[in-house]
Amino acid sequence: MARRNNLAGWLLVSPVVLGLVVFTLYPFVASLALSFCEYDIFTPPRWIGLWNYETMLSRDPLFWKSLGNVLYYTILAVPLGILFGVGLALLLDARIRGLAVYRTIFFLPSIVPVVATSVLWIWLLNPQIGLVNTLLRLAGIEGPTWLASVRWSKESLVFMGVWGVGGSMLIYLAGLKDIPASLYEAALVDGANAWQRVRYVTLPMLTPVIFFNLVMGMIGSFQYFTQAYVMTQGGPLDSTRFYALHLFYEAFQYLKMGYASALAWVLFLMVVAVTALLFRSQHKWVHYGR
Amino acid sequence: MIDEEKPISRRRKQILWIVRGIFIAAAAAGALWLFVGYQPPRHKVWPGREKVVFWHMWTSNWAEVVQNIVDRFNESQDRYEVVPLTVTGGSLKTLIATSGGAPPDCMAQWESVIPAWAERGALVPLDTLMPPDEWHALRDRLYTAVRDIGMYKGHFYGLSTGMNIWAVYYRPDHFREAGLDPDKFPRTLEDLDAAADKLFQYDSAGRITRIGFSPRWLVQYVAVFGGSLYDPATDRLTFTNPRNVEALEWITARADKYGFERILQFESGLSTTMQASWPFISGAFSMVLDGQWRVEQLAKFAPELEYRVAPIPPPKGGKPLACWSNGNFMIIPSGARHKEGAWAFMRFWSGVDKPERAAEFYTWGGWLPITPEVAAAPIYQAYCNKYPQFRTFLEVMASPNVQVTPPVPVQAYMMNRVGWAEDAALRKTLSPRQALQQAARETEREIENDRVGKE
Repeated sequence: MARRNNLAGWLLVSPVVLGLVVFTLYPFVASLALSFCEYDIFTPPRWIGLWNYETMLSRDPLFWKSLGNVLYYTILAVPLGILFGVGLALLLDARIRGLAVYRTIFFLPSIVPVVATSVLWIWLLNPQIGLVNTLLRLAGIEGPTWLASVRWSKESLVFMGVWGVGGSMLIYLAGLKDIPASLYEAALVDGANAWQRVRYVTLPMLTPVIFFNLVMGMIGSFQYFTQAYVMTQGGPLDSTRFYALHLFYEAFQYLKMGYASALAWVLFLMVVAVTALLFRSQHKWVHYGR
Repeated sequence: MIDEEKPISRRRKQILWIVRGIFIAAAAAGALWLFVGYQPPRHKVWPGREKVVFWHMWTSNWAEVVQNIVDRFNESQDRYEVVPLTVTGGSLKTLIATSGGAPPDCMAQWESVIPAWAERGALVPLDTLMPPDEWHALRDRLYTAVRDIGMYKGHFYGLSTGMNIWAVYYRPDHFREAGLDPDKFPRTLEDLDAAADKLFQYDSAGRITRIGFSPRWLVQYVAVFGGSLYDPATDRLTFTNPRNVEALEWITARADKYGFERILQFESGLSTTMQASWPFISGAFSMVLDGQWRVEQLAKFAPELEYRVAPIPPPKGGKPLACWSNGNFMIIPSGARHKEGAWAFMRFWSGVDKPERAAEFYTWGGWLPITPEVAAAPIYQAYCNKYPQFRTFLEVMASPNVQVTPPVPVQAYMMNRVGWAEDAALRKTLSPRQALQQAARETEREIENDRVGKE
């Protein structure tokens, strides 16, 4: 009976297991092997040892450029995302009229598909007829060319990212609801004012959620692709050529599948390393209320 | 301990029924679509013939033109049946089909795939499909650009079905308004600059409201200045050829005069460059560089618009009737099963065997032909009489000064870097010479990476 149950169980999960093996595990392992090969799809892969990794470090200036871009974006976008996410959650945790409406309004952008958001922002940031520059013009400021400007292209994408913090805001809101009221009562008894309650109760108790969003945001930033692909294609002057976009071009435009696999593995290792660092740092600042 | 099952409430039952209803309705709609609405792919009409699978990139009206040409071919002989299929994103799908051992027999692609795929042995050399004397005769008849794009390392891999040529579209009404004679289009680049200066317009805040002429796209002007990005004799890149540097210096000087940011700002506010909303129609540009396909579009979307077309005038020491050219090319993947059939179809369409017959196909698509014989055919001449502006493009097409993208295996990377160099010079990040030097260095390094990686 137990054996039959076992078999039935395996049969039921087999589509998922097969899918994982064929579409995730196999490509994962294959890409590691391909990263040591010259492979252009047309001809069979040919072993070239560490050539791809050497090329990356010493013969591909765009590797460093794209890495610099992604680090710049991560350093700017992730903290800003947390700042705005937590700030919004705190505001929307207040007991005011029409709270559900406000929450819906701020959450809505995060459920718009990325490509649609990108197209919308191309228009919002249009230097001539876009809403952003029109508002700036009303204030007497001639706005920059945003996505077409080397100086502002990455910042434009960061602004757009901040617009979509509704998803993380919702998680922060859930985190806020989880903070025991007794802690606030104790703080009140101790004479803490509103800022002190936020600083010494809310934020420490929210750190597990902030930590989660930090890790997820960092991983997402390292893989930043769609918005840049749709809005700027890496330009101007490679200022938005992010790591994943560079990888994509190497693979599907220049047919360097082996090199692209090597890039993917370096990205993977970087993400693992930064995630590990974050996990190691958490005992210093994340409070699990134990 | 097992929980006692709770009875399902009436409300839950209702919800369950609604969910079931939705599923049943969706399944019924799917089945209805399968049996009634679904159009199966076109099957063979002549079962006894060899099936030649042809992948192309055209949709809607263009796909109909392709279908008509295919029908003509299928009716013209009794050995092959070409089955066309629109495949968007064709190059990636062909890559996958080729690696899976099931490529189409022939396909239409942009010219940039030729060196990259030929280098990897993924294309059939077309010169091996015909006797040497026939190949030599064809090679001598082809327009220079058609031949140069199709060739890679001594073999001929692609045959064009339609070339693209660029020339200056201009508005006679703007010319008259600015005190210029539209019958005397500038004959030199210096005169073109002077005319452009008179045609620019601004609003009270100093913002551009009309562009006289704003040159960009270095490869076009490299040809006009008499420069070159590549030396076929030495197989070396020549990005820093003094004439190329002069071309980029001229482009940046023109942008500086009106302010690159200001031009970008104005252009960003214009509608897309597609068909009816082309800003030339609305008068945002007095002169603009564009391709021959606009002639038919203008006839369709702005039949009343008065406009003319002229070749890009050369600077002192430059080349007349010059531009950069590209086009759609028919290729045969090396794993194709019916190479002979594919080649027969390509000959039929492009006019290699009967130029007079193929001339009609070119008029259906508004395409530029591959040989002077096709262009001279009465039906093509009648087309040019109907659209007189088209003659300018035909005239440039026949010129030996038309240039094509250098046939290097890393062509896509190279063009990306050339575009980068132009952008860097326009934004003053580097001087034109430095920008071209850096683009050359990076492209040479990429060629070297590609070569050593293969060894």
